[in-house]
Amino acid sequence: MIQAEEVGFRYPDGTEALKEINLKIEDGTLVYVTGRSGSGKTSLLKLLMGIEFPSQGNLTVLGQQIVKGRNEGIRRLRAKIGPVFQEFRLMDGRTALENVILGMRFLDIPQKQMKEDAYHALSRVGLEHKVSSNVDNLSWGERQRVAIARAVVRKPLLILADEPTGNLDRENAVNILKLLDSFRNQDTTVIITTHATHLIGAVGDVRHITMDGGIMKQEEA
Amino acid sequence: MTKIFTNAGYFFKETFTMVRLSLISNILSLLSTGLIFFILAMVISGWWIMTEISEAIRGEAEISAYFDRDVSPEEETSLVGSVGRISGVKDSRLVDEKEAYGNMEKILGKDAQILNVFDENPFTAYIEINIDLDSVDRILKELDNMPGISYVRDNRDVLDRINSLTRLFLLIGYLVLAAAGISTLVIISHIVRLAVRDNREQINTLGLLGAPWPFIAFPFILQGLLLTLGGAILATVLSVFVLKQVYSQIAGPLPFIPLPPAQSVASGMAAVILSAGLVLGAAGSMLGLASSRGK
Repeated sequence: MIQAEEVGFRYPDGTEALKEINLKIEDGTLVYVTGRSGSGKTSLLKLLMGIEFPSQGNLTVLGQQIVKGRNEGIRRLRAKIGPVFQEFRLMDGRTALENVILGMRFLDIPQKQMKEDAYHALSRVGLEHKVSSNVDNLSWGERQRVAIARAVVRKPLLILADEPTGNLDRENAVNILKLLDSFRNQDTTVIITTHATHLIGAVGDVRHITMDGGIMKQEEA
Repeated sequence: MTKIFTNAGYFFKETFTMVRLSLISNILSLLSTGLIFFILAMVISGWWIMTEISEAIRGEAEISAYFDRDVSPEEETSLVGSVGRISGVKDSRLVDEKEAYGNMEKILGKDAQILNVFDENPFTAYIEINIDLDSVDRILKELDNMPGISYVRDNRDVLDRINSLTRLFLLIGYLVLAAAGISTLVIISHIVRLAVRDNREQINTLGLLGAPWPFIAFPFILQGLLLTLGGAILATVLSVFVLKQVYSQIAGPLPFIPLPPAQSVASGMAAVILSAGLVLGAAGSMLGLASSRGK
């Protein structure tokens, strides 16, 4: 569960990114966070991952309070999150399989199972034929799918996807949203930030949060 | 720690991938590390050889003690024994008149015919005393107070010069060793810092995925270790070759220089350089990682 109470966030240069955010997200929910550039979507994700820390208020993610200085707690939290970064952050010069396995190496998973899970995750994103391909040689869309496979292979309790539909046409964007939703279950929450408000209806059972100027303007079921 | 062992294969693969992705930079790093270690190896070998030579010269430090005129041959033998028991005296023996005359003949060489001017042997018996150079003052004091000894030829100037020379060698050796060691440490830590800088995106990503710091750091430590160890091996091979050449140049034409055996210098130097490679590699990597952490 994610719970935010009166959360505010200000960057060191004084820019106020989030104001008085109150939020409660139950496990197993699919959440869209929409809003224009600079509306606070990415700042919210940074807070959820413990990359940044609230300047005020309380934020708890999967039972871990997001407070500066609790490095080991934040690290453990991150190990329970499957992040899909906007720029993918894949390891160049390594294969798709190596990239996916990398997300599991420091968890207590036996070597054999890691490999099996990575194959499975890559086949779920439709890349079973690109397992041994160097990620440098994959297309933009394929790289995104490797990033999704790396995020979900660890069976995370929270999937955070930052703008996964950017640069995609409607059909591919819907496919990606459906793919991400397919990893949701009663334990796994999926939070997606996107500009594409027109796609909200494409995948059902969604909770929609709109951000504007750091303020959570509306919340719809 | 268990994860370090279970992921050993990954760490090595990751290290080689990092090396492969910045191949030219890593080859240059390896060569520069090798060069630094080569300089260090040459300094160590030179220092070692000079120390051995100066020790050999110090070992040859001798003084001569002459008897009073009224000392009988029995008393001379007894005095040789007394001198030999002085602390710091390594050896003492009687040089009789005949041997003293022969020694002078050897020293004078072709000019020895001048000794024919004398009707009888002008040289007297004396005690040849091989001493520990550090105890010279105390030994001379004891000899001065010893009944039956009239005069001691101490070669003081020569002994002092040998003493100060060996001290100078030691000092220079320590200074160059420290300079080469610190340079190696700085270069290795800088190389690791550069590797960390090159891979900061990857390090950030692993951090965001929840990887513990030792897991992130280990490939960099391994890279630093492999580079320094590679450099140390390169330097060892090169140094052994150079050492052989130097020995063949010196040992033949200058046989009187008491060089230590080439084999022992080479194996000792290799052990020191390879150990230094491991220690400085690990220390430099840690230093490089520590200084780039959090940037």
